[in-house]
Amino acid sequence: MLKVLLDRKAASLYNSVRSLTAWELGRNAAFFIVGFWMLFGLHVGFFRVLAHIHKVELIGPLLVWKLTGMTLLTTFSMVVLSSLIIALTTLFYSFDLPFLMNAPVPSRVVFIEKSIETTFFSSWMILLVLAPYVLALGRVRDLTPGFYLAFASMMPPFVVLAAAFGMAFTLGLMFLFPSSRTRDAIWLMSSCSMGVVYVLLRLSEPEKLARPDMLAVVAEYLNYLQTPTAPWMPSGWMTRALEAVAKGDFGASFWKPFSVLWGSAAAVYAALVLLADRTYAAGYSGAQESGRRHRSQDVSYYKEQEWLAGWPKAAALAVLLWKERKAFFRDVKHWSQIVLILALASVYLFSIQRLPLETPDLKNLVAFLNLGIAGFVISSLGLRFTFPSISTEGRAFWVVKAAPVGVDTLMRAKFLFTLVPMTLLSTALVLMSNHLLLADRFIATLSFVTILAMTFTLCGMGVGFGSIFPKFNIPNIHQLESSAGGFVYMAAALFYIGLTIAFEAWPVQMHFRERFGHPGPWDYLGLALCGACLVVLNVVAFALPWWLGRRHLETYEEK
Amino acid sequence: MIEFSGVVKRFGDLTAVHRLDLKVEKGEIFGFLGPNGAGKTTTVKLLTGLLRPTEGTVKLAGLDVVRDTTAAKKKMGLVPDEPFVYPKLTGVEFLRFVGDLYEVPLEAQKKRIPELLEMFELRPWGGELAETYSHGMRQKLVLAANLLHEPEVLVLDEPLVGLDPKSARLVKEIFQTLSTRGCTLFMCTHVLEIAERLCSRVGIMISGKLTALGTVSELKGGKDASRLEDVFLELTGGSEYAALLKHL
Repeated sequence: MLKVLLDRKAASLYNSVRSLTAWELGRNAAFFIVGFWMLFGLHVGFFRVLAHIHKVELIGPLLVWKLTGMTLLTTFSMVVLSSLIIALTTLFYSFDLPFLMNAPVPSRVVFIEKSIETTFFSSWMILLVLAPYVLALGRVRDLTPGFYLAFASMMPPFVVLAAAFGMAFTLGLMFLFPSSRTRDAIWLMSSCSMGVVYVLLRLSEPEKLARPDMLAVVAEYLNYLQTPTAPWMPSGWMTRALEAVAKGDFGASFWKPFSVLWGSAAAVYAALVLLADRTYAAGYSGAQESGRRHRSQDVSYYKEQEWLAGWPKAAALAVLLWKERKAFFRDVKHWSQIVLILALASVYLFSIQRLPLETPDLKNLVAFLNLGIAGFVISSLGLRFTFPSISTEGRAFWVVKAAPVGVDTLMRAKFLFTLVPMTLLSTALVLMSNHLLLADRFIATLSFVTILAMTFTLCGMGVGFGSIFPKFNIPNIHQLESSAGGFVYMAAALFYIGLTIAFEAWPVQMHFRERFGHPGPWDYLGLALCGACLVVLNVVAFALPWWLGRRHLETYEEK
Repeated sequence: MIEFSGVVKRFGDLTAVHRLDLKVEKGEIFGFLGPNGAGKTTTVKLLTGLLRPTEGTVKLAGLDVVRDTTAAKKKMGLVPDEPFVYPKLTGVEFLRFVGDLYEVPLEAQKKRIPELLEMFELRPWGGELAETYSHGMRQKLVLAANLLHEPEVLVLDEPLVGLDPKSARLVKEIFQTLSTRGCTLFMCTHVLEIAERLCSRVGIMISGKLTALGTVSELKGGKDASRLEDVFLELTGGSEYAALLKHL
């Protein structure tokens, strides 16, 4: 029976590939090429870092394996987090579940099929980014194909173990709390706990351990390096097995952690299936019951109408903003993400405060480069919130499309709805960072103005690219983040951030020349040129995807 | 009121609508019939501006639905074949949302929203999120939303699917009342009995082509005893299944 379910997935994939038009093939090939070069760039970066570390006298190889252990631990944690987010939708709210649950298919088989889907969607993108690292490691250590084979053979149990956490948590949650309101509360509390754990971990300053000058004795540092990172975690087993293979040792040093990894994965997955046998059907039944809460039936003015009352032409914009606000805050998944964002922001600022920067010049330079990090944070949040905002209209898109409202108004509403919180967050990050780094007036003003422009443009890009690549029938909105459109948005956003920093580097250099007391530091023609380039960059980065997106939505045809 | 002139719609190699020429007059209830995949829903989407014709023009109240999209949409209401609504809005909020999109004054909304909810027996659920509604309740909510702005043309794609008999009866009466008030109804349906009882004229589309057009009695060819179902099956070839059914 499982084969029948998997065959239908294979047939769907085969049919979608076979039905690709020449244009779609060309587009996909272009994405593939861009993706390949981005991964190649990552590989070059990893290679340079690893090669540099490897050359450190005496402790180089130890440092390389320490870094590998940490990378694998991070990968494991990311798959766990990702599965927590994805499992709920895939296991309980997939569009094909009503059909599958009504068919004479045992719920165990449905669960196994959905668990494969959850594991795949929670891990494929993270593994794609890990691949350039492993290749770089192989090159630096001059390893044989046997190393890559060992790595590939350990990946399935590694990701299954990670994804099993998310699935087990979700199964338990849905079984124990069939009432949707309690479930929402527990979901929110779990997110808060995760956020708190994340903040606490960061506040414990683990980087102190990685810095020899922070440890009293050299021997203590060496001891730290020789101790595997989280030895009781799957990442620890995998690191030990890879280390053994790298030394050409296929004996007990390899087989022991290898067997523990495969054995644990098999045991944990079997336990998960047994848990699903007892809880999945009951949990699915509970998931069908929606929480009922009677709300007001009052027909009166809402806040957005009052705010935009002065502009009669903005009536449609006001109602769309009102709808966005209602829909956003009634979805508990959004609250949990807000909690995690707040945790991320506090860790971000704490990390800035703890940067070991000695001189005011260095602090100012970091305050300027911090723009790139803040931009990256905003574009990543954009990938989660702004880019999918058009697609979140879902199958109710017909309501707006059939109404006497242009798609431009819908795009404006989506843009404004994300612009306000994004601007608050980005300016808070930059202003606080500048304060902590004691940035001088020039850098503080430049970074403040830049982050305002950057947030505006990135939000516009998110809505624009989201309109170019909308998916109104997607069963899980998280799949959008790893879609081709999400990839293009993220690549374009990072390119834009990079260009912004590059254009501003020149005036910043002039400013530093002044700080260092060089005569005639300011080249006003160069300054004007940089300013003009920045204006053009922002206009193009905002207007081009917006215009293409609007055209695409206007002519969008659901086939 | 509605005018299709030489309308063709292609999706790649597939021609979903072949050169459609059709006029529907003000106040008419026009029934649009055809087997599954005949191109009825595509025609509805062309009429409501959700799709653009590959060739030809579609006019509604004298307005080109492609060029004067917004003005044409103001005069129209759409009940699609599947009543998808925003799951996180309550029934009242959904009506309020649609009312504001169609620029219905707040005072009129205050009066009409409770009336419409009462009429469709949705009053007790008006404050519940739409995600808790059944298919039939969502269908009624969409119908109510379309009556809120009093459209000149109402386009309906299978409007009675999912409705209980009492609601179906109510909806049929609403359609007749709207027609007498001058509202034009363009209705796709598979329920031939409804087309026979309600529609002033009927068109039958097969494989994207308008194969038959006229009043129900014209289509019957003057034979009073025959039913519209027989005419439909004769045109669409449904009677060939009789031999197969014997082996079932």
